[in-house]
Amino acid sequence: METRSLPILLLTLVALLIANLMFGAVSLPFKQVIEGFQVGNANYFTVHEYRFPRTILAMLVGAMMALAGALVQGVIRNPLASPDVLGVSHGAGLAAVFYMTFFPNADIDWLPTVALCGSLIAALMLWWLCGQHSSTIKLAITGVALAALYASCIDFLMLVKPLEINNALLWLTGSLWGRGWNQLAMLLPWLLLIPCALWLAKPLNLIHLGDDSAISLGVKASTLRLLSLAIAVGLTASCVAICGPIGFLGLVAPHLTRKLVGGRHQLLLPSTMLVGAILLLLADLVARTIDPPIELPAGIMTAIIGAPYFLWLLFRTK
Amino acid sequence: MIFTRLPFIGQCVILLLFLLVCGWISLFSWSVITVTPLDALHALYNMNEDSIAQHIVHDLRFPRVLIGIMVGANLAAAGVIMQGLTQNPLASPSVLGINAGAALGMATVSSLAPWFGLLGTSVAAMIGGGVAWAFVMLLGSAWRSGNEHGRLVLAGVAISALCAALTKAVIIIAEDQAAGVLTWLAGSLTDARWQTFDALWPVCLIGLVGAMLISPTLNLLQLGDDNAKNLGVSLMWVKLGGSFLVLLLVGSAISSVGAIGFVGLLVPHMARMLTGQDHRKFLPIAMILGACLVVLSDTVSRAIIYPAETPAGAILALIGAPFFIYLVRKRTL
Repeated sequence: METRSLPILLLTLVALLIANLMFGAVSLPFKQVIEGFQVGNANYFTVHEYRFPRTILAMLVGAMMALAGALVQGVIRNPLASPDVLGVSHGAGLAAVFYMTFFPNADIDWLPTVALCGSLIAALMLWWLCGQHSSTIKLAITGVALAALYASCIDFLMLVKPLEINNALLWLTGSLWGRGWNQLAMLLPWLLLIPCALWLAKPLNLIHLGDDSAISLGVKASTLRLLSLAIAVGLTASCVAICGPIGFLGLVAPHLTRKLVGGRHQLLLPSTMLVGAILLLLADLVARTIDPPIELPAGIMTAIIGAPYFLWLLFRTK
Repeated sequence: MIFTRLPFIGQCVILLLFLLVCGWISLFSWSVITVTPLDALHALYNMNEDSIAQHIVHDLRFPRVLIGIMVGANLAAAGVIMQGLTQNPLASPSVLGINAGAALGMATVSSLAPWFGLLGTSVAAMIGGGVAWAFVMLLGSAWRSGNEHGRLVLAGVAISALCAALTKAVIIIAEDQAAGVLTWLAGSLTDARWQTFDALWPVCLIGLVGAMLISPTLNLLQLGDDNAKNLGVSLMWVKLGGSFLVLLLVGSAISSVGAIGFVGLLVPHMARMLTGQDHRKFLPIAMILGACLVVLSDTVSRAIIYPAETPAGAILALIGAPFFIYLVRKRTL
């Protein structure tokens, strides 16, 4: 019954993958896309070097961000929580903006690493402030407060050094523009976190019964919470490092999925990855094709697509 | 502390004197053209038409200080009312999304439909802030009694994130005015002139008087919704009226100087530390403190990368955000 929507999701994903390869500043028929994978073809650069890695990257990043969102919502047990409330993406943003404004001539290839360090430091900071024994809601609010702190530092940096403002703003909205094989290779090691997250599905179901019931059923609630949040931080940090903070994906995708397949994490976690991938592919496709050759950042598209849906959903469930 | 033991009037007088000194310092300090402290005083009551320094004080600095005072008082009063209405120590215009909503309204109107002018943007800021606040209250189920504090804040964060994303979209779509809009979003008193003052003071006056009138009722709300009802408070009207006041105060402040954050969060707590829980006392103290804070941070904002200026809002955020963390850690949520 609940698995009925899975084939539809898979089909949509495949259709979007193909559409992402076909459309853009130059539209290619399907046949040329296939031919474009051969070395020496006229479209080889467009398809193989440009669109293909970008599409794969969008799929992976979407899936990982959505998975992180589902984990955080599962642990904090609040539908309004998202990886953003951990302050991780703001930490990455601060590190990146700091790097861009103070070392404008530095190598741009180091940016993902810098952002990654920033987000991991932000996570450690949250950990240091909260410790192991504080309640999850307190953890979330502390994360929000930290995020506010990072955001105000970002604003301050950008206003003091206004010359770099456009680059920084563009990075901060999150975009897949110009990302290729190199970035894809950087993301690959982090894919190992996905099976770890899926392995947590069953205990996450139990934690929904409340801490006491979960503990009496043999789940170490605090360890599980720590583990899931750590995995969520890793997933978010790696994605943000490469694409910048793409908003709302982690918030909206799990909601949408819960509506489609219900709340069992064994099913929810894999399907939310599908939904996340679909959302980001769609956002990137629209962002690229709405007014070519100008590209909107995909982060804005996810916000515009995701936000109204999110509001509607929240009011429906009230 | 000796200050907390003073009678209420004494506290008010000391704080007002402090505010006067802050305002006076702000009139003459960090100016590219040298302004002496005496120039600043002369310009106010006995102006010498030939002196450039006195013109600067009269045309630029004086309205700026006055607007800083009003904005600070407005935001502090709004914070007090919000914390009273929701019984939530973290409630404030910036945390619960009003600032972000107002900024969205303002940015949309000023970049997509600039022909509306100043009145249009203030109305847009108020509408945007109002819609965001309504959403947050509905999502955080703040109208019901016994609500969790965390839920309201998370709702505020979600709505703020939403508004911020849309604002960014508007900025990126509507041309290369990023730096200008961003400065405005951070909140800056740089462009405060007499005409801003003229537009601000009537609204400010109505809002502040309204806040004073509602403060005895806020005391009753502290007893809990049920007790307040038993004492003859009409909850719905108080909450609606309070929300309207908040919108008036925040909307007018934001439309004249931009989204200055964290005053509404910071100041009520400072005032409560000084005077205790009685709203009739700590509301005026909060207003004066808010005014001092904004005027001071405006002065600092001119000093920090002199002769260029940083927005005062950015400075306030740098002070306010650590305080927010401190509050979260101290309170049991």
